[in-house]
Amino acid sequence: MADLIVHIIVPVAIFAFIAGFTLFAVYAERKIAGFVQDRLGPMETGKYGLIQTLADILKLLQKEFITPSAADRILFAAAPIVIFVAVFIGFSVVPWAPDFIPANTNTGLFFIMAVVSIDAIGILMAGWGSNNKYSLLGSIRAIAQMVSYELPVGLSLIAAVMITQTLNLNDIAYLQGISSPEQIYFMGFWDVTDIGGIFAWHIFQAPHLLIVYAIFFIASLAECNRAPFDIPEAESELIGGFHTEYGGIKFAFLFLAEYAMMFLVAILGVVIFLGGWNSPLPNIGSLRLADWTTGLGWGIVWTLLKSLTIVGVQMWIRWTLPRFRADQLLTLCWKVLIPLAFVCLAISGLWRILVML
Amino acid sequence: MESLLFYAFAGMAIVSALLLVNIRNTARALFLLFIVLFAMAGLYLFALADFIAITQILVYVGGVLILLIFAFMLSNKELLDDLQSTSKRFISLPNWQALVLALIFMSVMVYSYISWSEHIPQWIQQSEAKGKIILSTDNNIEVLGFKFMTQYVLPFEIISVFLMMALIGAAHLSRKEDNK
Repeated sequence: MADLIVHIIVPVAIFAFIAGFTLFAVYAERKIAGFVQDRLGPMETGKYGLIQTLADILKLLQKEFITPSAADRILFAAAPIVIFVAVFIGFSVVPWAPDFIPANTNTGLFFIMAVVSIDAIGILMAGWGSNNKYSLLGSIRAIAQMVSYELPVGLSLIAAVMITQTLNLNDIAYLQGISSPEQIYFMGFWDVTDIGGIFAWHIFQAPHLLIVYAIFFIASLAECNRAPFDIPEAESELIGGFHTEYGGIKFAFLFLAEYAMMFLVAILGVVIFLGGWNSPLPNIGSLRLADWTTGLGWGIVWTLLKSLTIVGVQMWIRWTLPRFRADQLLTLCWKVLIPLAFVCLAISGLWRILVML
Repeated sequence: MESLLFYAFAGMAIVSALLLVNIRNTARALFLLFIVLFAMAGLYLFALADFIAITQILVYVGGVLILLIFAFMLSNKELLDDLQSTSKRFISLPNWQALVLALIFMSVMVYSYISWSEHIPQWIQQSEAKGKIILSTDNNIEVLGFKFMTQYVLPFEIISVFLMMALIGAAHLSRKEDNK
């Protein structure tokens, strides 16, 4: 029975976190947009507009359920649930601190890749169910984009996994800090097993993983349909793409899924490439900074700090870069990112055989 | 609890598969296929085949099914109407081959169930005696990887060559001819 309660508490806690994060992130996004475009952003509701998003969500919750009369009712109603659940399950295998992980499975990374691909089905359901040409065009664009960008994401993850030799996200995070079960070398020559800190992160363990992380980051932006890859929802052409017809709480769930996806890819990149819950501070001689700043509480703090920084970068990019054309988008994917990812995959193999032994 | 989940998944798979072959609406049928594949993946988990379960979702749901729906959305409306206006009966005469196949398959399953529930085959008893069984905490992926790269390396390579051939064939078929 106690087991069952834990199985209920953990998802509820994660959901509460996602909801809180979304409220906060929407506010941050509007403030960052304001800063980039040299204006103030929300200022009216509360001090500095702090409760603006709270007011927004209250408005969304009160709205009437509206289903277009020509829509396919079942698909229209099920789509937001499928989209949100697909992203939500992904959080079940992500570690927050040493051994502080909802489900410690050996297939963690593979599992995330699989459940995130369900997201695309939900988008197709929304696009087809709405029975609206803009929604359908948006979902077709979304699929063309997500299916092709799943390749660079997958290839970059494989390149990293060839170095880690495990798919368990908890073990992958362990391999990048002072509590690592194996010897860690900075750039393959300097033993940093006892020093830890920023030098032990995967992007510094093997130099090509920096490029791999860049590929992963760009492709993951496309996976969560964020600008400059937001052609599926392009407001100026498609009036919002696949979620044109949605309103009220259904739209709130689509929005929640988008921000949850942003955080999921950010935390995934952090766990695999940027040291996960390991401290960025190294041990310097008798100053045991890494030893002091590793543990349950610190782990959660580092994970959150790193992930929120990455989310911040995603927002910064969204408001800085213009949107890609569809052909530029696919050219970037198939002619730049995928060949580069294949080269990195080969380097990973050689690195594992020749350098890490 | 676990048997409850098992029957829930099994029921979901059977009900949505039956709906899938009977429904008139092709779009909904495709999304029902998603539920069938998902429930099947859940059933694989009960056989301790977590890798197969996730691969099922990744390949069939994330790849094949999306391409099916994509092709459906891009295809001709009249062609689809033609497809939908075929026989309305559950089992019609031209489909008797399917019925025979299904019955043969059913009889094989019933036969193996009856013969295995009477006495467990010797090779299973031997493995149990030697302790060579998979536990739910084992790292199946590592074992699978070793097996693929050692014992089953030839079939594994042949399959990858086949996939490569299919890929090149698809690229060749979809290529535009040069108009020189």
